Amino acid sequence: MPPIIQIQNLTKKFGNLAAVDHLDLEIEEGEILGLLGPNGAGKTTAILMLATVIKPTEGTALVGGFDIRKSPDKVRGLLGIAFQEPKMLWVATPWDVVNWHAKVCGLSTEERKQRVKQVLETLDMWEPRHKNVHALSGGMRKRVEMAKVLIQRPKIAIVDEPTTQIDIVGKHKIWNMLLELRDEGSTIILATNELYEADRLSDRVCIMHRGKLLVCDTPKTLKDSILGGDIIDIQLEKDASPTVVEELKSFKEVVDIMQVKPTNLRLYLNRVEEVVPQIMNLLMKKNVPINSIRMSEPSLDDVFAHYTGLTIEEAQKDEG
Amino acid sequence: MRAIWFVSQIALFGLIASRMMSIPNYFQYYVAGLSVMTLYSAAIFIGFDIYEEAEHGVFEYLLSLPVSRKQLVLGRSIGGGLRAFIYVGPLIALSLYVIGAINPLSFLVALFALFLFSFGVSGMSITIAVIIKSSDRFDILMGVLDALIVRLSTAMYPLAVVQAANPLYGGLASFNPVTYAADLFRWGTGIETMTLSNPLWPLLGIIAFFAFFTFVGVIIYDRRIEGGGWQ
Repeated sequence: MPPIIQIQNLTKKFGNLAAVDHLDLEIEEGEILGLLGPNGAGKTTAILMLATVIKPTEGTALVGGFDIRKSPDKVRGLLGIAFQEPKMLWVATPWDVVNWHAKVCGLSTEERKQRVKQVLETLDMWEPRHKNVHALSGGMRKRVEMAKVLIQRPKIAIVDEPTTQIDIVGKHKIWNMLLELRDEGSTIILATNELYEADRLSDRVCIMHRGKLLVCDTPKTLKDSILGGDIIDIQLEKDASPTVVEELKSFKEVVDIMQVKPTNLRLYLNRVEEVVPQIMNLLMKKNVPINSIRMSEPSLDDVFAHYTGLTIEEAQKDEG
Repeated sequence: MRAIWFVSQIALFGLIASRMMSIPNYFQYYVAGLSVMTLYSAAIFIGFDIYEEAEHGVFEYLLSLPVSRKQLVLGRSIGGGLRAFIYVGPLIALSLYVIGAINPLSFLVALFALFLFSFGVSGMSITIAVIIKSSDRFDILMGVLDALIVRLSTAMYPLAVVQAANPLYGGLASFNPVTYAADLFRWGTGIETMTLSNPLWPLLGIIAFFAFFTFVGVIIYDRRIEGGGWQ
């Protein structure tokens, strides 16, 4: 079966800035594809091009076999999108917004009656359904935005940072609903900068940074791809000098070192049990007392750091 | 506020100015023209809605919906026109009461023409708004356009008077949608001295105005709406 979305050389420039830079990607039917990256990585711009809201500067994409440039109306017929910032018709209530959206998407009166109630109830939005959207909190507005996609049940659902500003209970509800949507046959593109969300929901994760696609694979393969199967985070009492960092790098088991803060080092290494005592000795000898040592397995954050040289928080600040 | 403005224009300006004019039934003439001017300024407001939608990001949402751009622009243009018509409807009813006699058939034709006029102005406002992409510049341009398009029409004075003042003004007023709408409304309301001998031309003019801005609106909207740059 051919991929449901084939992105070919997709590029969007705003002046000299390439918000999306020659993106090539294939998305299989029925998968959840996580687009992971800091704000400004190009995720939203890529999504808006797929949704035919903005036109590419170069390249194209086939969505369900339809070219986004040649048949945008057909493409929009397959898509449902929940935006990063809730898009309300600023004069309405949650019930009006969701019901109107369902109507435009072609749901019959009977279907709407049933599904609007069901979706709003599941998202805990039934009670405030007649409140003006102005009066809702950011998290509640975000739920209304998500309700649009959930009620539409599109062939391809695009959700841009679906759980930002939503409390943990609400996050779990939305995650479960997205998984249900996938199980019912929808393909989902999940753009997020939350690593846990991407890891938990995605069948494959693509990492974007500065408009470019750096890598795309299953979360497990991505984590396994990092050289050095173990990670230790060392918190020091004082700053680690460049000499100390260089000496630590000289251990053959140490694959890479990130200085997260002047006093915090993250070491990617092999054979952790053998090398940790040697590292401790070295630091003691250099008169750099250790506050704590923590061992962990690689996360998507480490994958992100491995490919960009930055943590996602740093990348976020960098873009900001 | 619009209603207060409308009533004060009739009760103060219309009443006082009509005593200065040698034109017969100028008071009724002015009231009919005032209805069209008010409809024009109400229909223009859709352009400001476009900026509000851009500011709140509603644009992106509308553009992502499974409807064609043509349907979207038509919907916005007709919606804006209809809203203006509904807002101004009571004022038109008031002006009918002030004007008096009506020929029902002619009036229905005139009302239809006002509908098209309202949709056309709405389409024009959307077109200009998406070309300019700046609410401040749009506001200024609409002010200038309002001054020209309304003053160089027969909304407030007959064409013969405009022509007598300056033949160029007369020429411009002859090809002005506000003139068409005002003349048709007066024809429909049966203001005898101002009755048109042939309402077909202004009616065709209004249809052409509506069709042009709806068609152009679809093209411009599709080309200009994306890519940000909204102020």
